[in-house]
Amino acid sequence: MPRGIRVYGKKRGNRRTGSRAIGSAGEALFFAVFLLLGCVGLAVILVTLVLPEWRANHEFVRHTCTVLDRRVAKDTDGEGASLYRPEIQIEYEIGGQTYRIWTYDISKAYSSGRSGKQAIVNRFEVGREYACWYDPADPNTAVLVRGYTWWVWLLLIVPISFVLIGGGGCIHAALHWGKSAERSAAITRRASQLDLFDRDGRNRDEYPNIPAATDMTNSPGTTLAFRLPIGTSPAWALFAVLIACLFWNGIVSVFVVIAVNSHLEGDPEWFLTIFIIPFVLVGIGLIVYFIRQLLVTTGIGPTLLEISDHPLHPDEEYELFVSQSGRLTINSLEVLLMCREKASYRQGTDTRTETRDVYRQQVFLREGFEVYRGMPFEVQCDVGVPAEAMHSFKSDHNEINWKLVVKGDVQGWPDYERSFPVIVYPKAEG
Amino acid sequence: MNAPRVIIRLDDDDRVYQPGDTLSGEYVLESIPPERVKAVEVSSLWCTEGKGDEDLAVHDFRRSAAENGDWFSHNRPQRFNSTLPNSPLSYDGLIVKVRWCVRVRVFLGRGKELLGEMPFRLGSVPAASQSPLPLGEGDGEGKSEQTA
Repeated sequence: MPRGIRVYGKKRGNRRTGSRAIGSAGEALFFAVFLLLGCVGLAVILVTLVLPEWRANHEFVRHTCTVLDRRVAKDTDGEGASLYRPEIQIEYEIGGQTYRIWTYDISKAYSSGRSGKQAIVNRFEVGREYACWYDPADPNTAVLVRGYTWWVWLLLIVPISFVLIGGGGCIHAALHWGKSAERSAAITRRASQLDLFDRDGRNRDEYPNIPAATDMTNSPGTTLAFRLPIGTSPAWALFAVLIACLFWNGIVSVFVVIAVNSHLEGDPEWFLTIFIIPFVLVGIGLIVYFIRQLLVTTGIGPTLLEISDHPLHPDEEYELFVSQSGRLTINSLEVLLMCREKASYRQGTDTRTETRDVYRQQVFLREGFEVYRGMPFEVQCDVGVPAEAMHSFKSDHNEINWKLVVKGDVQGWPDYERSFPVIVYPKAEG
Repeated sequence: MNAPRVIIRLDDDDRVYQPGDTLSGEYVLESIPPERVKAVEVSSLWCTEGKGDEDLAVHDFRRSAAENGDWFSHNRPQRFNSTLPNSPLSYDGLIVKVRWCVRVRVFLGRGKELLGEMPFRLGSVPAASQSPLPLGEGDGEGKSEQTA
């Protein structure tokens, strides 16, 4: 059935898709406003600040003037705070005509802090002659100092950012305006093939939407071909937990102090006291979790995984070398091969991510053994990807990730888990 | 008069292909006055379904437009063919699904469009839910997290 432009899109599964035409118009309008604001801001800054400063430095003519008076001029900003600028009254003669003006620099900008301006003013003595520069196009304009002010150039970042974001968005909207989803996708694909800095271009062309294994094969192993990089460094994970812990407890502690003081002063804030209890409990939980992670990271030595080949292919066997350092009594050490689906979706202003394990196979298990300092536990085993397995996959909102997971149950220590991503390619034909 | 529609036929009735195979077939515009057709786009593409937002990528894209002088024959089927890529393979996961199809989009002017789709499978990866692949305790175990 023929379809026209709809204001509302169709309902798809449990989501409602918006109208493409309205969406494109909204996107174009949004970026056009950005671009307009950027252009206006850029023009204002160029005309009022940059251009006059450039002209003062390049076109103004050097001359001599006499200082007649001096002062610190005062103004107030929108919130009533005082702002100041130095002003010197000078007199100079050009072409037989005498000019008398209040001036200092070309920007004529006010700023906070009177003492700095007073010090500038004090440098000029009334009655003495000083060098000045006047505008040949308007001799009534002259300055006592030249040069460039840093904040003017810093200020340019704001409108230039607006112009770049707005311009880029407008170009994107124009390229996709009135085009079907397939045509837009084809344009995007061609554009991605022009990426000059794309290290994974060849892999992407040969195996589209399979992540490149470059980062997993650039570290040679000592026993097998490749040492696999760990998914998330334990140190970084610990740092992230520490930041979360400090942030949460830092805010909560302010309210705890207020509540405790109210009790000490005999005027207890019962509502605040009861209200902050759950927040304090979460804070304690974060501290416990941080200590647990700290123990795992510092107490349990590094876990190394090496593999005989990479990327992996279904229906093929690979040798795996596992090394666990530390001084540990291990109840169980397990290595798993896992496949996890990951989907992200927008819900209102949130981005939600959901994961689901679709494959889990035990590759190795050893129970009840000791690891001594300087003598890491080392073992070699085989790992195989099933013949009918789905390959690794990555698109903007959907992923299929394969990984080797080392799980440890150590006596006297919290359990730990370390992941090592691997890439699985489609089954080789023939 | 029948409702206007796009009929797509693939040469392989099974509609199951392997990477490197040639996908070929034809489409016919039925009950559409020739003068109404402004452009036709034929794509072989994959898109995702499931929990996540939809991703779509075009493997092969051909556009014929009247404004470019392309000639549309409505009385006989139009052929198309394309060599299929190594990936991504069709997949029926628990929350991620990859679907391949041939899509013919006909632009009829005044913003009206007509769409025809013919799904096919690339590869023979079994559905995750029916997979013989082992899943230990906590089948389909998952979690969700939220970011602002």
